[in-house]
Amino acid sequence: MPVWLREHSWRQTLTAVYLSLPLRGARATPANIFCSEQYLKVSIPPFLFEAILYAPIDDTNSTAKIGNGNIFFTLYKKEPAMWDTLTLANDGKEKLWYLRENAVLKAQEKAKQETEAKNITKQEHKKYALEATMKLEEAERKRIEDLKEKERQKVAKELEFWKNQQKDADKYKSIQKEGELHQEIEPLKERKNEKINKSRILNEGTSKIRLKCTKGCHGSCSIFSQNLKEEQLPAPRAAATIKVNFTPRVFPTALRESRVAAEVEWLHKQAEARRIVNSDLSELEDLKEDEKNPDWLKDKGNKMFAMGNYLGAVNAYNLAVRLNNKLPLLYLNRAACHLKLRNFHKAIEDSSKALELLTPPVPDNKNARVKAHVRRGTAFCQLELYTEGLQDYEAALKIDPKNKNIEKDAEKIQHLIQETMQSS
Amino acid sequence: SAAAGPERPQVVSHVQQALSYTVFDCKWVPRSARLLCLGSAARGSGLLQLYELHGGRLELLREIEKPKPIKCGTFGATSLQQRYLATGDFDGNLNIWNLEAPEIPVYSVKGHKEIINSIDGVGGLGIGEGAPEIVTGSRDGTVKVWDPRQNDTPVANMEPVQGESKRDCWTVAFGNAYNQEERVVCAGYDNGDIKLFDLKTMSLRWETNIKNGVCSVEFDRKDINMNKLVATSLEGKFHVFDMRTQHPTKGFASVSEKAQKSTIWQVRHLPQNRDIFMTSGGSGSLHLWKYEYPAQRSKTDSEGSEMGVAGSVSLLQNVTLSTQPISSLDWSPDKKGLCVCGAFDQTVRVLIVTKLNKI
Repeated sequence: MPVWLREHSWRQTLTAVYLSLPLRGARATPANIFCSEQYLKVSIPPFLFEAILYAPIDDTNSTAKIGNGNIFFTLYKKEPAMWDTLTLANDGKEKLWYLRENAVLKAQEKAKQETEAKNITKQEHKKYALEATMKLEEAERKRIEDLKEKERQKVAKELEFWKNQQKDADKYKSIQKEGELHQEIEPLKERKNEKINKSRILNEGTSKIRLKCTKGCHGSCSIFSQNLKEEQLPAPRAAATIKVNFTPRVFPTALRESRVAAEVEWLHKQAEARRIVNSDLSELEDLKEDEKNPDWLKDKGNKMFAMGNYLGAVNAYNLAVRLNNKLPLLYLNRAACHLKLRNFHKAIEDSSKALELLTPPVPDNKNARVKAHVRRGTAFCQLELYTEGLQDYEAALKIDPKNKNIEKDAEKIQHLIQETMQSS
Repeated sequence: SAAAGPERPQVVSHVQQALSYTVFDCKWVPRSARLLCLGSAARGSGLLQLYELHGGRLELLREIEKPKPIKCGTFGATSLQQRYLATGDFDGNLNIWNLEAPEIPVYSVKGHKEIINSIDGVGGLGIGEGAPEIVTGSRDGTVKVWDPRQNDTPVANMEPVQGESKRDCWTVAFGNAYNQEERVVCAGYDNGDIKLFDLKTMSLRWETNIKNGVCSVEFDRKDINMNKLVATSLEGKFHVFDMRTQHPTKGFASVSEKAQKSTIWQVRHLPQNRDIFMTSGGSGSLHLWKYEYPAQRSKTDSEGSEMGVAGSVSLLQNVTLSTQPISSLDWSPDKKGLCVCGAFDQTVRVLIVTKLNKI
């Protein structure tokens, strides 16, 4: 139950009402005051003051001053008239309730309108600012463009001028050329001087050229000095060879700092792979020396593959793998054999193992990786696992985009996939 | 990157010309407003096109087709009168052409077993002293120096030691040709090696490795006591070596800069100012640099040997012209700031760099 504040005092003029409300010790903030056209409420829990005003007031311009333990209201009347009382007589709870609600609604609406208006002005300000900035930037850009254009034109003009001078100089030179045959041979010293001057003269692009031309027979003197130069030229050098040593580099590709780390890692792996020799040599003791060399065995296998002896090739590769299971090419070539023997699962296994060993990917093992992907892809397709096959073909294409065969095969697989999807 | 400040050099695009072939090299014809484009046509033949700057466009004056694609060319060893062009092609042939009568070369030799990647000439154009010579560097790992007066055999051959596997030579440049006897050749290889060969003593004078394949080397001037050498490489790096002071073990002092992520294909010094050079990149960009010398160019080390002190490099301007690498670049020797560049987007561009006088 609120505690009603009833001890208020008021006075009025024709246009305004002055209301003083003591607060009985409660502290008030603007949030506690609610005022609309005809309804005034001060709520500082548990205190409450409520009044339905005698006549409507201009609530926008009216003020409330909080201080000294009371609130002093200055309410400007909407219509200048003297009020009989501050508040309307209590007509009943209903009217009170209705007025209250109305007041609240009105206040809310007003607040809403105010925020909307504020937003609109904010937007307009923003838009204005944006346009202004854009205009400024546009002006700046245009200024720079104009500067550039002016430079361009100036330079273009200079160029044309210089070009025409060149043409004239050339023409003059050719005229002089014809005239040189009638010239007397001048003393050596003079020629030498002219030769020295010549380089200086020719580097100037101004009209000074013309003047010096008429004076110094610029065209002819250069001919003379050219002949002179030929007489003074040393004989062709005595042929000789200088032997060159290069900073060692294993890869045929150019050196790039950023790729050095990956290259070093790959070389390291290769070197290690060659060093590893698997144990279990007791079985292999009765093998010939050659047969203990994985590289020799690999070559043997390659030869047998070429002859069509796929089983023999597989045996050779098997033995090589037992000796050294870190050489990717053994698995790669064995995969090719398995394809021919239609052992597709084994082909997939071997291609996968080869790819595992062919890391990190460097340009050096590019070809091997392409082959591994193609072989595995083929095996997948033969097993009708077309999606997996396509994945491998696309990987191969990514490494070697220019390979037309791979492209064609990849397309074929695409078609196959679409067909199987349609038929199922 | 530099903005359009009022005092900075600007790179202005003057003319752009679309080509129907891959252009590998472009060169100004000395004493003219004409330029040459060299490359490879789609049908696998070589192409030379001669253009002239006319107002705001390039006018095609002449088109010459040759059996093999052409990789590089130079006017460096020809006289101003003759202006013969020396070219290297994909088959390892060195040819010298009279562009007025290009059907038959003036000089021809199958100099290398594989493509000639780079060519340079010295002793011509009224610059420097000594005999005109041409140097070629090839994928076959050799660098050869030719005298057009001597047929068939080079006057110097820098080849791998017997039995040693070869590395691609990607770039060659002449330098130190300040009198009749002195001359050096600098060569860069794909394994990051840079080698300096002294042709007077016929020996290796210096070598180093810059950890990335060397795309382009150039001395700031061919015809002076060697002053600076710029070497560009893969992975966006270039090095400027101070060539005035060679330390017995440490070689030449250098400063390096990483301009961008992609390959720096070419470096070219401005003919009119040897401390300004331009680099072209795999990302289609051009960077204009200025070298500043240190207060002291050399100092003595703890053992009393002289060693060089490298200066610093600052970026004057950069611009991106293409999405494809700009593989060739040439400054006009006659008009300061005028340059031509060729890119792998089959376009050749004539550019003007302004305000170089203010540097």
